[in-house]
Amino acid sequence: MSGPMGTLDHAAVDELGAAFALGALEPDELRAVIEHLESCPEPHAELRSFLGASDVLAASLEPVAPSTGLRDRLMGTIATTPQERTRAATPVASVAAPAREQRRGGLLDWFPPNLARGLAVAAVVVAVAFGIWNVSLQGQVSQRDQALRAVAQAIASGQTAFRVSGTGGSGYVIADKNGTASFVGANLAPLKANQIYELWLIGSDNKPVAVGTLAPSDAVAVVPLERGITGFAVFAVTAESHRVDAPTSQPVMTANLGS
Amino acid sequence: MTDPTPHDDALAQRIRSGDREALGVLYDRYASLALAAALRVVADREVAEDLVHDAFVAVWRKIDKFDPERGSLRSWLLTVVRNRAIDRVRGSRQTIEVGEADAQSLLRSGPNPTWEAAVQRLEVADLRGAIEALPGEQRQAIELAYFAGHTYREIATITGVPQGTANGRLRLALNKLRDTLASSTAAPLGAPEPLPVRETDR
Repeated sequence: MSGPMGTLDHAAVDELGAAFALGALEPDELRAVIEHLESCPEPHAELRSFLGASDVLAASLEPVAPSTGLRDRLMGTIATTPQERTRAATPVASVAAPAREQRRGGLLDWFPPNLARGLAVAAVVVAVAFGIWNVSLQGQVSQRDQALRAVAQAIASGQTAFRVSGTGGSGYVIADKNGTASFVGANLAPLKANQIYELWLIGSDNKPVAVGTLAPSDAVAVVPLERGITGFAVFAVTAESHRVDAPTSQPVMTANLGS
Repeated sequence: MTDPTPHDDALAQRIRSGDREALGVLYDRYASLALAAALRVVADREVAEDLVHDAFVAVWRKIDKFDPERGSLRSWLLTVVRNRAIDRVRGSRQTIEVGEADAQSLLRSGPNPTWEAAVQRLEVADLRGAIEALPGEQRQAIELAYFAGHTYREIATITGVPQGTANGRLRLALNKLRDTLASSTAAPLGAPEPLPVRETDR
């Protein structure tokens, strides 16, 4: 595992998953792992399972009270510190190295490529099926149009849409031929304070698998599912106080995936 | 009327709108934890407080980049603190900076449920107990990686084992820790009764 990193295959990335989650990779390895994940359609389940481990390690520390003056110092600093305003809508993430960022551009490039396709397809479905646009996105019509044009042919070539409906709202699960999917929700019902929607896939064993969360604040929500839908029969959405391992309430939206 | 105990996501929205009081609430909520994390790495209180100060300023400046669907504000803040602390002690070490978003979000649309549940449901002593229950070499690897900011290659050198062994210990440790925490936080919860509505549009 020594020496400069080139490209990494799935197995190598999985082997480095724990070190990745703990921030214990060398810079070249970190870049190589990110490069791989940006374009990899595989779930990398073990690596994913490590994400968040650092939160536990931090929480295992006994809190240490700061000096009394630190808060005043901080408040004094931010009183004269402007906030950075980078864009109207919050992107998923961009973690590429600067050189890579320079050669990328446009809405789709804010997302890892494997997610960009699904997100953009989902956006098209929202626009067509619901006939609405998120007001906050209207200022980015040109970028969105560029994104939509880029994926229009992909839709025509065969994406599957499963209708999602229930008391919580409506939407679609969009899946490509590999089962990679996104949930597109609209008209979502307001939730109680501090609640979120949690997304589930349910197979023949009737055991729900958590595949994402979303806040009900957006007029149009687009959430890439953390797992492919292949082998699952039902998609469901529940309202939860926080992300949980198993649902604590009955679904507010469901869809039959036909598996 | 202002919510006396706003959720972190609500705080993030208020901070994004330029509400300095909201950042103060965030500070009151997490400064002591952030200081503990920084102090563990740099072992110097004055330096650690500077790092905490700078991390909160970074949150204030860059809150527009925070995406609550990719992780919690708490986790984001602590990542910033730790990265800055490691940068301080390692000098040339390159970490993921707050402005470059969250590399972990490549794979998740929210925190992993097991880790998140552990943070929310378990006491500090329980979390520490789970870590201390790891085999010695695995616990050492975790501490050298997370708290001392060493890469697995450096850990291999420090502990005198092959790099693959050092990396493997991290992997074994997190797997074991995750399993331990999953059993500690498991709660009987009802499964949903889905209402199948098939409507395949294509």
